[in-house]
Amino acid sequence: MRIRALGVAAAATVAFGATACGGSAPTSSAAPSSSAPSAGASATADKGSGKLVIWADPNRTKALKPFAEQFGTENGVTVEVKEISKDNQQTFLTASQQGSGPDITVGAHDWIGNLVQNGAIDPVNLTEEQKAAFSPIALKAVTFNGQVYGAPYAMENVALIRNTKLAPDAPATFDDVIAKGKELKKAGKVKEVLCLPVTAKGDAYHVYPLFSSAGGAIFGTTSAGDPDPKQVLVGSKESQAAFEKLAELGEKGDAALKTSLTNENSIPTFAGGKCAFLVSGPWAMADVKKSGVAYDVTAVPAFKDGKPATPFVGVQAFFVASKGASKTLAQEFVTNYVTNPDVAKALYDADPRPPALTAALDTVKAADPDAGKFIEAGAGGIPMPAIPQMSAIWEPFGIAEAAVVKGSDPVKAAESAQKTIDGSLKN
Amino acid sequence: MKLALRHAFVLLVCAFALFPILFVVSAAINPLGTLASSDLVPNGASFDNVAKLFSSDIYPFGRWVFNSVFIALASSTASLLLSMFAAYAFSRMRFAGRRVGLLALLLIQMFPQFLAIVTIFMIFTRVSELYPAFGFNTTWGILLLYLGGALGVNTWLMKGFLDTIPKELDESATVDGATHAQVFWKIIMPLVTPILAVTALLAFIGTMSEFLMANIFLRDAESKTLAVGMYGMIAGDGRNANFGMFAAATLITAIPTVGVFLWLQKFIVSGLTAGAVKG
Amino acid sequence: MSLDVREAAEVTTPPRPRRELTTAFVVSRIAVLAVAAAILLYAVPPLVAAESWISLTLLLLAGAGIGYLYLTRRFVPAKYLVPGTVFLLAFQVFPVIYTVSTAFTNFGDGHRGDKAAAISAIETGSVRQAPGSPEYGLSAALKGDTLVFLLVDPKTKQVQEGSPDGLTAVQGARLGVTGKVLEAPGYTVLKAPQAAARADQIAELAVPTRGGLIKANGLSRAVEGRAALTYDAGCDCVKGDGDSWQADESQGYFVNAKGEHLAQGWQVNVGFANFIRVLTDPTLSAHFLGMFTWNMVFAVLSVLTTFALGMGVALALHHPKMRGTRFYRIALILPYAMPAFAMLLVWRDMFNRDFGLINQLFGLDVDWMGGMLSAKFAVILVNTWLGFPYMFLVTTGALQAIPRELTEAASIDGAPPWYAFRKVTLPLLLVALTPLLISSFAFNFNNYNAIALTTDGGPFPAESPTVGGTDLLISYTVRLAFGTGSAQFGLAATMSVFIFAIVATISAITFRRTRKQEDVYA
Repeated sequence: MRIRALGVAAAATVAFGATACGGSAPTSSAAPSSSAPSAGASATADKGSGKLVIWADPNRTKALKPFAEQFGTENGVTVEVKEISKDNQQTFLTASQQGSGPDITVGAHDWIGNLVQNGAIDPVNLTEEQKAAFSPIALKAVTFNGQVYGAPYAMENVALIRNTKLAPDAPATFDDVIAKGKELKKAGKVKEVLCLPVTAKGDAYHVYPLFSSAGGAIFGTTSAGDPDPKQVLVGSKESQAAFEKLAELGEKGDAALKTSLTNENSIPTFAGGKCAFLVSGPWAMADVKKSGVAYDVTAVPAFKDGKPATPFVGVQAFFVASKGASKTLAQEFVTNYVTNPDVAKALYDADPRPPALTAALDTVKAADPDAGKFIEAGAGGIPMPAIPQMSAIWEPFGIAEAAVVKGSDPVKAAESAQKTIDGSLKN
Repeated sequence: MKLALRHAFVLLVCAFALFPILFVVSAAINPLGTLASSDLVPNGASFDNVAKLFSSDIYPFGRWVFNSVFIALASSTASLLLSMFAAYAFSRMRFAGRRVGLLALLLIQMFPQFLAIVTIFMIFTRVSELYPAFGFNTTWGILLLYLGGALGVNTWLMKGFLDTIPKELDESATVDGATHAQVFWKIIMPLVTPILAVTALLAFIGTMSEFLMANIFLRDAESKTLAVGMYGMIAGDGRNANFGMFAAATLITAIPTVGVFLWLQKFIVSGLTAGAVKG
Repeated sequence: MSLDVREAAEVTTPPRPRRELTTAFVVSRIAVLAVAAAILLYAVPPLVAAESWISLTLLLLAGAGIGYLYLTRRFVPAKYLVPGTVFLLAFQVFPVIYTVSTAFTNFGDGHRGDKAAAISAIETGSVRQAPGSPEYGLSAALKGDTLVFLLVDPKTKQVQEGSPDGLTAVQGARLGVTGKVLEAPGYTVLKAPQAAARADQIAELAVPTRGGLIKANGLSRAVEGRAALTYDAGCDCVKGDGDSWQADESQGYFVNAKGEHLAQGWQVNVGFANFIRVLTDPTLSAHFLGMFTWNMVFAVLSVLTTFALGMGVALALHHPKMRGTRFYRIALILPYAMPAFAMLLVWRDMFNRDFGLINQLFGLDVDWMGGMLSAKFAVILVNTWLGFPYMFLVTTGALQAIPRELTEAASIDGAPPWYAFRKVTLPLLLVALTPLLISSFAFNFNNYNAIALTTDGGPFPAESPTVGGTDLLISYTVRLAFGTGSAQFGLAATMSVFIFAIVATISAITFRRTRKQEDVYA
């Protein structure tokens, strides 16, 4: 990690999205000098004032449309929501760079590091009042180098979803989950002990609560208690032990973790009543509810005598593109419109993910207890680090996970994952 | 080879070809319409998924079908002509740079195009400003883009075919005073219908299923092609829930292709009799 | 080459009398001119409006060149080649040239734009709200014709006018419930749609204060902020926060004394650094041979299996007495008519150990994608399924060109069918199809999707998490260049130059060997 954290995250430290407002003269050189983008800026600037373009992924496009249109009516502008279904982050970066990007993009908070190092998004200025309205963990997630870079609107983390007909009692420890799952499987009532997507290449996000409860860690912690990306601990003794634990649950052990369980089949298998426990997030609820299975949502429990099981928390946020044609409108939309609890509530109705605004969450909780349960399950979680190098870690970690689940030596797997991560972070 | 043996062999290959498609069919008519509920034998049969597709307020499916078919027809026709022109020149004329040109045509296709996306944005950001009718999100723009691949492999396919047609035919016509254009349109073109039909079909299929370029080029729901729109259905969390609809859409995608094939088949088969004349 | 020139000379001096002007000649020339004029009429005005004189000159030159080409009787081959070549140059050759030029830069995430853009991003990203300053309620207003801000201090409800000259107090303004200004004497307060229409002016207006600048934050709020970091052209460095970062043109970053750099960088030339990195990459050199061998096996087998199967069924159907060919043909092209990405995913799910159709159907318990050999077998099988209809179609087409008399003659001579096939049909087929086989080889050599959507390179041995059992050079490249979160386009471009060199060499050698064959029939 060579990126220096800019400044101290003082409480009064607020960003505000404005171009070229440093006092010194050279900022005028900030205009892009290559001919194509500058022509793009000037040509679109004229018509840009009346149009706001938002890019979103397929999960959210539908949900956003009505609100975007309402914003358009209120402000007398046209708002277009466009669906980008593949490589959203890279497409946004490339398009922005060349001058064909949107004014606003919706994305996960862990994009921020990469978007910032490319100068693709502007800080978002929220008032103290607005900031206080967000769940602290959501606000922390969108804060990067001391600046707030996006307006969070939804949070998600994994929890344990349990078939209450098959397993009426909430398990106190993860060992109980395994025991109950095995018992049900033996009795022929379920097909799988546990539905947790491992996939052929591993899935760090879903397995992390178990890994952390078994004592493993991806990062060390800073003195402030935040994850410290400078110390990668995937190959540490503690992590080796955690991988060992995963191996015990794996295909050669309890067969609770299996590489054949994927993101595609784990939710339907649970919804079909073929397994009693599912580790998944709010996105699973639509299918689970449709299936009519009796269920409950609780935090992923820790192992007996283990450390707490901490899930990763992901936050969906709106970002203001720094090369957008209608930045003022974009700022208005992001800072003053989507931070409104009514909008957040309506967004929840269209796409049920727990809102990041506390007020909206309270309203939602009353109507849909699951949302509150997911938030509670994520209370001890940590935001996924937003540093650009993060995906250098996901893949080697996942491969090590899949390898030990299949029965490889945990020590060797952990060590080679650490070596790979160190190697790619060095470059 | 005995006829029965031929049938047995072809049937076996057909089974191999259709096996995964049966899975898609069963998912498409399965009323539950999720991935996990899909099996070779569906839980029931209904056309719900098809109905949902055409009545969807999120997915302008009918529009996608139209876009895809229009783009595929236009682009395959245009690229057919372009590559036929080139193949005629490469097969019938001798000029400096012919070999180099042919080889270059083959080699250029082999370059891994990591940065194609960057260059597309480079080119079309500018085009979108200057000529909005050919910019991003337009049918005409993506047609232009697709014509970039027109020469590609098709030129080779047609040149190879042209090489097998005796040169004496057009040489005698030239002696009779026909221009090169007359030779091309009146003598060559009628002789090559089978390979024209095959190439047209290949180009049509290629465009129908083209995804990478179209995905970054077409971002308005209304301007999307089937492949792009369908990818959106299963990207992200919708993969399970939309799988039935997606499977139905996959099958519907094949309908225009089969239609074009049925139409072109007679030209392909007519080659069987034409062959007798040529010899 | 000398041979080509002689041939060309023969063609361009035709041994036939010069033709007179025919109607067709005149009409076709007029049509050419009309089309050219129409295109120019459409294309020129926007270029003039945008003042892109270079593009305009290029367009006119190209227009003149093409016009001349089709008006003259000379350059006959060019008349046929130019239309396709124009598009080829724009959308295939240009990306290739651009890719190659990128190989010598550090283009990628963190280094996408130029230095000016990086400076702008650094300064904008460092703007902080001035400590203790109010978060003003903003109403855009017109004073005469000039746009000004009416700023409301939320605590004191005091209204001030903000203009490029600074802040001045405003008396007698009426405030609404939300704290925005409804009316103020001497000002026309803009309503939301009117303000939105002037969004760009609002964005540009900066009100100087003692501590920094007040800028609009959206349409309804304004904040006083100051950039913590500023660029100083004198020292070519960024200063602020009690530190200083010097521009380093060799790596495209602002670097401080401790060697740490600011996040935002710019694109610079790095010479052969990417090439050296590829050549010295320890993983690549350790695994290159294995990966390359599998890559060759995958590409060659993909071509052979698809061609053998496709040609097999095409031959089986190529018989006058064959019935039901229409049905067979439709069934056989269906795999090709389905969107490949969808079917690759379907296949991947079918190979799933516990949930997949294949194990269920055959009562197996094979971890297809988890075993080194079974995963290799699976991807080749899937690729065969995807690719054989193409070979079937082209073979069917090419078979029509082979005079049936030839094969019949061979069988009348009493030769066995296999002999007739090998001595007559296959060589003739190969004349037409060899280039396609070569290009199919090249396509499969770099068939990223076939791997990415099925095994994604796996299975990965625990001791080498970077190179999987089914990794092709291209899928390894993608992981190396894009796998660390930031896209490293420069590195990817370099790798693609190497991969191209490998494929092109193999293909060119194969091509040369078939060249003699082609001359026999050409």
